[in-house]
Amino acid sequence: MRKMVRLVSTLVVITSAAWLTACSNKPVTKQEPAAMAAPSDPKIVAAGKAIATGRSQGNCLACHMIEDGESPGNIGPPLIAMKARFPDKAKLRAQIWDATAANPESAMVPFGRFKVLTDDEIDKVVEYIWTL
Amino acid sequence: MSLLDKYRIRQAENLEKTMNRVQRWAAVAIVLGLMAGSTALLAGEMKADAATASEAITRAEAAQKKADSVNGEWRDTGKFIKNAKKAVEEGDYAKAIRLANKAESEGNLGYQQAVSQSKLEIPSYLKAMY
Amino acid sequence: MKKLLISLAVLLVTAVSAQAGPEEDRMAFIKYYKGKFPNVPMEEYANGAYAIDPVGRENWEAIEEFPPYEPFIDRGQVMWEKPFANGKGYKDCFPDGPAIAHNYPRWDREQGLVMTLPLALNQCRKANSEKPLKYKKGPINDILSYIAFQSRGKVVNVEVPKDDPRAMAAYEDGKKFYFTRRGQLNFSCATCHVQNTGLKVRTEILSPSVGHITHWPVYRSKVDWGTVGTLHRRFTGCNKNIRAKPMKAQGPEYRNLEYFLSYLSNGLELNGPGARK
Repeated sequence: MRKMVRLVSTLVVITSAAWLTACSNKPVTKQEPAAMAAPSDPKIVAAGKAIATGRSQGNCLACHMIEDGESPGNIGPPLIAMKARFPDKAKLRAQIWDATAANPESAMVPFGRFKVLTDDEIDKVVEYIWTL
Repeated sequence: MSLLDKYRIRQAENLEKTMNRVQRWAAVAIVLGLMAGSTALLAGEMKADAATASEAITRAEAAQKKADSVNGEWRDTGKFIKNAKKAVEEGDYAKAIRLANKAESEGNLGYQQAVSQSKLEIPSYLKAMY
Repeated sequence: MKKLLISLAVLLVTAVSAQAGPEEDRMAFIKYYKGKFPNVPMEEYANGAYAIDPVGRENWEAIEEFPPYEPFIDRGQVMWEKPFANGKGYKDCFPDGPAIAHNYPRWDREQGLVMTLPLALNQCRKANSEKPLKYKKGPINDILSYIAFQSRGKVVNVEVPKDDPRAMAAYEDGKKFYFTRRGQLNFSCATCHVQNTGLKVRTEILSPSVGHITHWPVYRSKVDWGTVGTLHRRFTGCNKNIRAKPMKAQGPEYRNLEYFLSYLSNGLELNGPGARK
């Protein structure tokens, strides 16, 4: 019986701790995303591609040339050699999240700050764009 | 040991087994409950009842009005509020709260966007031409 | 003392440059576009994106051979000539008509507002107990097409009278609207039509703002148009594209924007109604 009590209380402590860290982590990912060092998961890259090239969500093609994407615009630079241009993945994410932070006159949509895409969607787009 | 004693022992053992089972389930229930609770909290939908939904809509409408007062309202804010009200009618309070929160956030962002530009500034690419 | 004088001078200079007048604005826009499109002659700006888009221009010229806005002009002429229920008509309100498009927008001292042609048309109707026309779609485009066609070749000459500070305030308000980033996509008019003029959104070439107002109303072959629409309908569409809530057609915001935008086209010939993609 005492063993059981100890077990339950341990579980409670672990869960609360997990809950607390989960909570306190949330605002962090919103502002300054931690760069994910793990190699790109093809599923995530594919999901990112769908968001980036679709017209309703990212619509990156409206302004950027991407691979063989149909009727790309040219307001922004072509999305090529992204790893060379953004060795730090977090910088790429910050640019997509809010390009006007680095340059107030940037024409780019602040996808994260103005919630055009969710943080999760931006993570996926970053994974895809970084492969280009 | 009498039969009665044996019976009592077995009963006690059974009771302990049951108690163990109850405790195990209780522990699982507590853990699951906490997990569910934290997920719900994380999604901002701990309470999805009519009163909470109505409060969220009131907040969204105030934010929308604030944005509109500086000509900063966004295109879909009104639509989100309308759909939130519809969701309330349909009893889908979680959906209503989600939409209302979205509208509130848009209202606040649109307001900030407008007031941050309250002073006219000619952008540098054109300013160089004066 | 010297320091004070210098700072005063600096203050004065900044105040002057921040308060650049309409003519300084127009010259700055023209200088900017000339830098981007050195080979485009000034009068070509009246053709909008087709001044800088040779491929689009070929299609446009083919469309103009059988103008899709012709039936609108014809219906507009009937409207112009047909008397109201009280026996009077547009001719009585606009004795100089129908070639009057170049007189708008203008500052209306009595009412203290920017008077546009559609607003003047509806004030005429109201004075004669007729129901006002809608400002974006429908019959207003017929009469506007007729007036525009009759006004072809007239030169844009918008004035901001210096002796009425309210006129300058209206102009400044329109200018402020033009440069304010709005909507979830965070674009201003200038983002697309100055900063990125000549570049493409998808396949569409962004037009310069000098020349934006010369050719209204416009027949757009775009799916959700397929008809002639007003300038304020176009403003509405632009604002929706950038995910901003549009202003009211012919409300003060859009009229003031039209005032500023029209001033930029001073010196260009009117060539409406127009045809666009």
